[in-house]
Amino acid sequence: MQQEVVLALLAKEPSHGYELRARLGQALGPLGDSMNAGQIYVTLTRLEKAGLVSSERSAGLADRPDRKVYELTAAGQQRVAGWLAEVSWPRPDLTEFHLKLIAAAAAGLADPVAIVDAQRRELLRRLREAQRAAMAEPDGSAAGLLLEGIVLRLQADLRWLEACERNWTTRRKQS
Amino acid sequence: MGRLALIGRLAVRDLRRRPAQAGLLLIAIMAATTTLTLALALHGVTSHPYQRTRAATAGPDLVAEYGPAGAGQATGRPVPPDARPLIHAPAVTGHSGPFLAASVTLRSRGIAVNVVAEGRGAGRVPVDQPLVTSGTWVRPGQVVLERTLATALGVRPGDKVTLDGRPFTVAGTAVTAALTPFPNMCEAGCMMSGGGPGPGLAWVTPATARALAAPGGWIYLLSLRLADPARAAALAASYGHNRSLTPRASLLIPWQSVRSADGLLVADEQSVLEPGSWLLGLLALATVAVLTGGRMAEQTQRVGRLKAAGGTPGLVAAVLLAENLALALLAAALGLLFGWLAAPLLTSPGAGLVGAPGGPSLTPLTVGLVAALALAVALVATLVPALRAARTSTVAALADAARPPRRRRALVAVTRRLPAPLLIGLRLAGRRPRRLVLSMASATVTAAGIDAVLAFHAMTDAHQVAAASGLANPVAIRDGQVLAVLTVALVALSGLNAVVTTWATVLDTRHSAALTRALGATQGQVSAGLSAAQLIAALPGVLLGIPAGLLLYKLANGSGQLVTPPAWWLASAAAGMLAAVALLAVVSARAGSRTPVADVLQAETA
Amino acid sequence: MNQTPSTQVLRARGLRKVYGREAGLVRAVDDVDLEVAAGETLAVMGPSGCGKSTLLHLLGGLDRPSAGEIWLNGQRVDQMSERALGRLRRDGVGFVFQAFHLMDELTAVENVELPALLAGRSPRAARRRAAELLDRVGLTDRASFLPSALSGGQRQRVAIARALSNDPLVVLADEPTGNLDSEATLDVLRLFEELHEAGQTLVIVTHDARIAATADRLVTMRDGAFVDETRLTGGSTGQLGELAGLTGLDG
Repeated sequence: MQQEVVLALLAKEPSHGYELRARLGQALGPLGDSMNAGQIYVTLTRLEKAGLVSSERSAGLADRPDRKVYELTAAGQQRVAGWLAEVSWPRPDLTEFHLKLIAAAAAGLADPVAIVDAQRRELLRRLREAQRAAMAEPDGSAAGLLLEGIVLRLQADLRWLEACERNWTTRRKQS
Repeated sequence: MGRLALIGRLAVRDLRRRPAQAGLLLIAIMAATTTLTLALALHGVTSHPYQRTRAATAGPDLVAEYGPAGAGQATGRPVPPDARPLIHAPAVTGHSGPFLAASVTLRSRGIAVNVVAEGRGAGRVPVDQPLVTSGTWVRPGQVVLERTLATALGVRPGDKVTLDGRPFTVAGTAVTAALTPFPNMCEAGCMMSGGGPGPGLAWVTPATARALAAPGGWIYLLSLRLADPARAAALAASYGHNRSLTPRASLLIPWQSVRSADGLLVADEQSVLEPGSWLLGLLALATVAVLTGGRMAEQTQRVGRLKAAGGTPGLVAAVLLAENLALALLAAALGLLFGWLAAPLLTSPGAGLVGAPGGPSLTPLTVGLVAALALAVALVATLVPALRAARTSTVAALADAARPPRRRRALVAVTRRLPAPLLIGLRLAGRRPRRLVLSMASATVTAAGIDAVLAFHAMTDAHQVAAASGLANPVAIRDGQVLAVLTVALVALSGLNAVVTTWATVLDTRHSAALTRALGATQGQVSAGLSAAQLIAALPGVLLGIPAGLLLYKLANGSGQLVTPPAWWLASAAAGMLAAVALLAVVSARAGSRTPVADVLQAETA
Repeated sequence: MNQTPSTQVLRARGLRKVYGREAGLVRAVDDVDLEVAAGETLAVMGPSGCGKSTLLHLLGGLDRPSAGEIWLNGQRVDQMSERALGRLRRDGVGFVFQAFHLMDELTAVENVELPALLAGRSPRAARRRAAELLDRVGLTDRASFLPSALSGGQRQRVAIARALSNDPLVVLADEPTGNLDSEATLDVLRLFEELHEAGQTLVIVTHDARIAATADRLVTMRDGAFVDETRLTGGSTGQLGELAGLTGLDG
């Protein structure tokens, strides 16, 4: 489980481990069924070791990760803010972006529509670059083929981002 | 059976959805059917009024006219003929007269006309007793005019006129069946009239007649009743050869020739109305064809909807045919009604006959012919587009490939070199060459009609000059009126045709016109172009109409000679027609292209 | 904005187009401000029904705005007479439609020369220019073909050649690749890039990101109004490797 996602989920308020798991499950729907239940607790432990979250044992309960209450540290908050503003797109990871939007909305840290817009702009710039490189290649070159593939994927991603924008704009209107 | 019901239902629904177009079609066909009804209704009408007059005035079966003859007669005072042989002839059962009649010149308000003034007493006679229709019978110092003559002069009882310079008061007007009313009264008195319209008839006292009778300017009139009126013509011929029965220069007029002379007026109108109705029928045909052709194209695009209801292009064609036939039948019925109502206006010919003709009878033949005309127009006009649609496969119709414009390389090459409006107009109108041909045909028909009318007016003008009596021929007046109505109908229908054709072209070429405007043409250029195309189609038609119209007049007029109208009349008529075509086209083009370019292009795919 | 008014080819202020009344009022274009500099390519993106086609029609003089002002090369055009608008469409603006809208009964070269003939050029000059333009779009060997004998991409290229016929100030393209498959789209794409390099001002309405990516500036439209603007030139470099998955990943 991507670390930043878990951090962002804690941004709203301190929560129990199992609460976090529940919220993730809700956000992912049927896709969450394939999620490894224990992954989140492993990530939480790592984050605690890295000093990004702190935990407290709930009074009267055993010392188990799902029963602990986790909270963001100052460093953790910084990390979350940085992550929200990031527009890198290292490999098409729809899930991470999707959760980013949900976390941002839930924590009230940023406007999901603004995040989508910013990502769109970045992808458009990359599309332009890839396209130009593709057209500069001679017909039938191998590199050209790869570049064409990149262009098409970016186009597909952009289409999804448009859908995200529509979806989140509607949600914003309803709320 | 179910299919027929479906067709009927679709037809009704379609008609209700397009009331304006249905109305146009109706009007177009009605113009033709009304005119034909009028023409046919005039048949057999003439005998009625004459019969009534004959009955009311105890009309004679034979009129004998004794002119002055023999030495001494030409210069001397009138001498009564010895009519006893004729009066006592075996076939004769009654008589009145012989009455002296003087040939005089009647003057009223500056108009002079020849008149035969017959001297009659106050008492009633058994045969040929004129019926007073206004005022009173003649008394000393007075004159009674025959009714047609009085109407032509505009004279009423109490007015003052002069006969050969002597003043008389008009006592009244009367009708008679013995002689044909002015101006056809050439059966009697032709010997005295020097050509031009025949003299009129009037009645004075016997003393006045004697006083007016100038040397050589008098006749005696004898009215006879026969045992067998049907044999009047034969008897007139045989008596005429028998010098012992009819001494001196004399003329025998059977009542049948009076009746037919009476009918000449109406016959004239018929000879105008019948060709007129065929002309209108042709124009109606062209209009309906254009309207239907345009509808067909629209309908084919909507085949998809009908297809969902189980229809095919053949069904669409059947529906359209049903609509047009229904409208045609309605037009026939309305034409018959209006024609029947309007006929009395035309068939009160001679004011010289008693009473209104008892309504033209709508014989089954008339009804049949009118209905046939209407149905023929609808059928012929609808058949071509309907057949074409029936042959189109449903697939092609759905793809809206029905009637795509064919590539006309020559047209494209030629129009390239022309200025922009002509380029646009000719290319747009050239997409439907058959419609252009219809335009030309319509122009020919209209021009022919108008030019025939001009020929008629040229002839009457020439005759006016010849007569120089200052008095118009009522026959000519009546003919002129009928022709005026016909001309108006012709022009109106032709105008309708022009509007419909341009409108259909505008609708048909909407996409192309919008595209051309998107590429930089202005609305003015497009309108001018469409107008120019219509003009180019109409021009040969208008020119062809000149010889066609003169030929038509010759055919319609039969024996009459042809007076070619002056060139400037024909030229102005042609110019007027072309101007009207251009104007109507421009107006239609503007009206039809009010939709913004963007909307038209959005609505229709390439 | 780093454009001076003198370099602006196309400018609009407060542009509005409404249909209907009261409850049924539709704001197709709602208070739009727009500037296009000479030689610039502007892309307008947005979902269907957002009014981008309507906007283009207003800019091209195919429809009249309900309110607002439009300047083309410094001349006010929204209040022009119909005749002047015709001249505008002829010389100032070239239109490319989604549905191509070629005349079915004319060959490719006859289609391309049509605007020049309408503008009153001599037939020979018009034909020469049409041949040049067809050569530029790479369709010289198809010059005497009817549209029905051309593929979608070829038809659109003919349409683009036609739009260039009178050397317009700006070419307006409404979903130019909407009816094309991906290969034809590439052809048109290349053509737009060439036009851009030659200095032609372009305004393209599209929802294809690949077309939009050729633009210098991208405007997003929603419900008749501009909601976002992006400058696409000067994009980030060196990211291609990341896109291809070649650089390091974090876990």
